[in-house]
Amino acid sequence: MADQLTIRETAAPAVGVRVPSANIYAPQWRNFVFVAPFLFFFTTLLIFPLFWGMWLSVHKADTFSTGRFVGLDNYVRLFHDKVFLQSVWNTFYFVLLTVPTLALIGLFLALCLNRRTRTAAVLRTLFFSSSVLSVTIVTLIWRIVYIPNVGLLSTIYGWFGATAPAFISDPSLAMIGIAIATIWWCIGLPMMLFLSALQQIPQDIYEAAALDNANRWQTLRSITLPSIKRTFILVIIIQIVLQFQLFGQAWLMTRGGPNNLTKPIVLYIYDTAFRRWDLGMGAAASEMLFVLILIAAMAQYLVTRNKGDQA
Amino acid sequence: MRMKTILLAAVSASVMMLASPGFAATELTVQRFFGACDADFGTNTDVSKAVGECGIMTSLINKFNADNPDVHVSVTTVEWPGYDQLTAQFASGDAPDIVTIHESVLSDYQSKGLLLPLDDVLKSVGVTPDAFTDAARNGATKDGKIYGLPIDSWTMLYHINMDLFKQADLVNADGTPILPKSVDELLAQAEQFKQKTGKPYFVQNLANETALFTRNLYTYLFQQGSDFFADPKHVKLNTPEAKKVVEMYKTIFAKDYTTKGLDYGGAINAFLAGEGGVQLNGTWVVGDYNAQSETNGTALNKGGYAVYPYPQLFDGAHAQYADGHTWAVSAKEDRTAEQTAAIGKFLKFFTDNDFDWSRTGHLPAVKSIITSDQFKALPHRDTISAVAELGRSLPPEVERQFAIQEIIGEELAAATSGQKDTDAALADAETRINELLANL
Repeated sequence: MADQLTIRETAAPAVGVRVPSANIYAPQWRNFVFVAPFLFFFTTLLIFPLFWGMWLSVHKADTFSTGRFVGLDNYVRLFHDKVFLQSVWNTFYFVLLTVPTLALIGLFLALCLNRRTRTAAVLRTLFFSSSVLSVTIVTLIWRIVYIPNVGLLSTIYGWFGATAPAFISDPSLAMIGIAIATIWWCIGLPMMLFLSALQQIPQDIYEAAALDNANRWQTLRSITLPSIKRTFILVIIIQIVLQFQLFGQAWLMTRGGPNNLTKPIVLYIYDTAFRRWDLGMGAAASEMLFVLILIAAMAQYLVTRNKGDQA
Repeated sequence: MRMKTILLAAVSASVMMLASPGFAATELTVQRFFGACDADFGTNTDVSKAVGECGIMTSLINKFNADNPDVHVSVTTVEWPGYDQLTAQFASGDAPDIVTIHESVLSDYQSKGLLLPLDDVLKSVGVTPDAFTDAARNGATKDGKIYGLPIDSWTMLYHINMDLFKQADLVNADGTPILPKSVDELLAQAEQFKQKTGKPYFVQNLANETALFTRNLYTYLFQQGSDFFADPKHVKLNTPEAKKVVEMYKTIFAKDYTTKGLDYGGAINAFLAGEGGVQLNGTWVVGDYNAQSETNGTALNKGGYAVYPYPQLFDGAHAQYADGHTWAVSAKEDRTAEQTAAIGKFLKFFTDNDFDWSRTGHLPAVKSIITSDQFKALPHRDTISAVAELGRSLPPEVERQFAIQEIIGEELAAATSGQKDTDAALADAETRINELLANL
């Protein structure tokens, strides 16, 4: 193709005929071959299941058969199900507990560890190391911490003759227990994102501030924080989308209990579709989660677009 | 050329030698729960040396493989109860040949045509349905056919730390524990126990637990003659009988007559460490606990270990909830005659060796074993054999019994701990179960 173009372009002046130069941006059907593998998997693993899920959500279906069309019955049942409504609230509560904490602790750690010392490098590695663990290992570690009578927390409280809070079984503490384990697990990514943002702030601004006798607080408030605003929003949005999909920690630490107080939407979907075989209603719940995450993603789009305009 | 021929011949001969055992052995895939213990029993074929569910099951399968060189059983161990994986395997057409299924769950898979009726396979190896106890045979029979080889009947029991019972003056002159005969007696004895030992009467795994609550409720509803599943598609739980049971457990919780916040493993450790008088756990720990009681220095060795069926606390007929484990066989169209014959051998092996399995504490499913002197000579069988008569299960037509168990467990846990009003919890449990059963 490139050879043909070259010959045509070089040959044209020789015969004195004006040939319009080829538009290299013109659509070429053969380019489709390059994206075909991606499109194949995108269609079969994402687009098809997306529409199949919608189709299932309006049918009475179980794991082994797809039954009759029931219209919006599954959605009506869903919104009459106290456990589903509880799981929606649980998911929002969990996002509320984890996302701001992750952003603030991540920022704090990044500010503390943004220096070129050996200790800072070691600590950065240490704080990030929990992120590489699988959810099973993380929950195992935290179960050992929380378990009554013999757990780490119980042992420490025992030294002072006190009873450790029951983070796995107390209705008011169970979700907080899961949130603590999640924050410990996920803190690495926000910290790294903030670190990379901090390192992009030009040093001369700080030098100018130093010449103006600005103190540490003024430097942080007027230079550092405004410079990393967009990273802050990015961290918040990434974490909202991630934490909305809570499943493993809740399943492995509390099984959604006590009294469904730690059951997130994904666990509700799993329970309904795969343990009760009510695939139609499970699909309807999945569609609701899809809508919620879509709203979060749209918010991300709107917020970042507006910020872009201002910049 | 000659060299090449010799080489080729040598290679062919070695390939044949390597491959020949593979050609002979029929492969069977077996999937089971009961835990993994390969470090202790991975190569053990002497079943008499094994203890506990996991040890005995692992050793039995090892022995089957050793005794039957023409069959090779490969085992996948799943976390109890493993039905999520099994359902997914059935849905994707990749189910194991043989799998452990509770009698209470058989109808879920049988009603979808996913299990093979075993009558013909069992007949071909000389095992007839009358070989099994009534409870085991009835539990494994659906629509007049046997859909699982019953290997046991199990139930929940009162596992008792006799040292603490002695401290609490709850021992008869003949050395047997004093057990309550009514709800009032239970609460009075629990109070006495707490006063004299400073420890809770019950060791229960209440942390995010559902099965225990449900089994307790079923048992005490049976004891009041409540026919809560008269219609297998419709449960009646918002009843005075159910309320009595919940109120009893609520008092036990509120007055600290039970451990709190322990999960299953935690409760076992607490009982073995002497943290309470009675552990509510199943038949499957009798073997392990008895072994502990024979080990010097343990809490159970101090004053002894006793185990009894649940006491009769209400006015109805003495009964308690029971279930059983079975080996079920997946229905596969492409199974060869050799594979079906190998499955028959496997099932026959487990019928013949049911005594070894009953050493776990489960009651044997085979009639000749439950009446044998060998079984009766096992420790504590004089007290727990009564369960064979007392055991009752839900009507076999009730589907999704594990999902129902989850719902009852969640609601009762909330009611017992005071998070939810008793009436509201029972009403919600009833509504949720009926909604589930109405949408099968």
